Amino acid sequence: MNEINPDYSAVLGTPDGEADQTASERSSETNVVDVFLAERGRLKRIIAGMGLSASDGEDVLQDVSIQAVKRTGKYLTKRESIRWLIKVTVNRCLMEHRRRRSFRRLASEILKRRSETKTGSTTAENKAIVAEELEIMRKTLQELDGSLLTPMVLRYFCDLNSSQVGEILSLSPSTVRSRLREARMILAKRLVERGIEK
Amino acid sequence: MAGSCKEIERMLVDYADGRLSAGKSSKVAAHLAKCEDCRRILAALQRSLELAGVIWEDGLAESEAIRVPVPKKVRKFRWTRYASVAASILLAVTCSIVWRGLVRPTEEEPSFAEIERRISESGSAARLLTAADLLAEYPDVGSIVKQQYRYIVETYPETPAAAKAKLRIK
Repeated sequence: MNEINPDYSAVLGTPDGEADQTASERSSETNVVDVFLAERGRLKRIIAGMGLSASDGEDVLQDVSIQAVKRTGKYLTKRESIRWLIKVTVNRCLMEHRRRRSFRRLASEILKRRSETKTGSTTAENKAIVAEELEIMRKTLQELDGSLLTPMVLRYFCDLNSSQVGEILSLSPSTVRSRLREARMILAKRLVERGIEK
Repeated sequence: MAGSCKEIERMLVDYADGRLSAGKSSKVAAHLAKCEDCRRILAALQRSLELAGVIWEDGLAESEAIRVPVPKKVRKFRWTRYASVAASILLAVTCSIVWRGLVRPTEEEPSFAEIERRISESGSAARLLTAADLLAEYPDVGSIVKQQYRYIVETYPETPAAAKAKLRIK
């Protein structure tokens, strides 16, 4: 995975901070509702990464849209608006994750959907192995604490770098990196414990 | 070896992500060449991320079904617009009042000559009424008196004396 997704760096800034923020960008204040409508694809990605179902995701987006409407009239730049929207979405997803309302789709369902869309010469034995791996991973992600899952989703699924993740979660980049290490080791060791690592 | 494994384990995630410096990276590579356990962990790190990616992508495919609410934009309160509308209304009302003030006297208020005419008529009617009343005190002049009252009513209809004359005829 690349460290910085150019698409995100354009709106969230470089790891060095605010240096790239131009004067015109600072002066161009935007409506949060407009930014919400433009960025809903990214917000959906976060919701998917946090393992929420479509119906729970719809609730989350509904709440975020209401909060965006309430924030209308407060002057924010586009960058600030995006950060704020990601933050609100992440917090709302974490509430659902704490209620264990995430990663409820079974590995067998995932595999079935994958087999419908992807063709490959997978044997029955391979399918069984992948199913077991996916099930272990699904459960591990479900059990993973929100403080570890969120940086993982933002870093590896939304392609943000450690600084950008830190800005959104109000953490230092080094804390983000240490949480990422911890989360990755938990997932890896769960596979090793079950004798699956290749 | 165990102590070394712990040290390497701390760098393994960054090594898997390709974020280690060249020096540290070669140190980890050298350790991995000798250590089966760390190789397994490295493989598991890569595999677990692949699997998490599969789960996330599957969730993303499902999230395509999410109906995104389209919030209605809240219109900003533009006080200048409301102020200009209020000022327009105020101006129209003021103009109307001023216009009425200028126009009404010529249309409705009586002129000085008119007032003078009314006073003169009222005086004449009152004098005639008094004369008729005095005449009414004498016998056998009833028809003359009635004629006199009718004259007052017909000649000075808008005067108070005409109203009294009407009553006396009845």
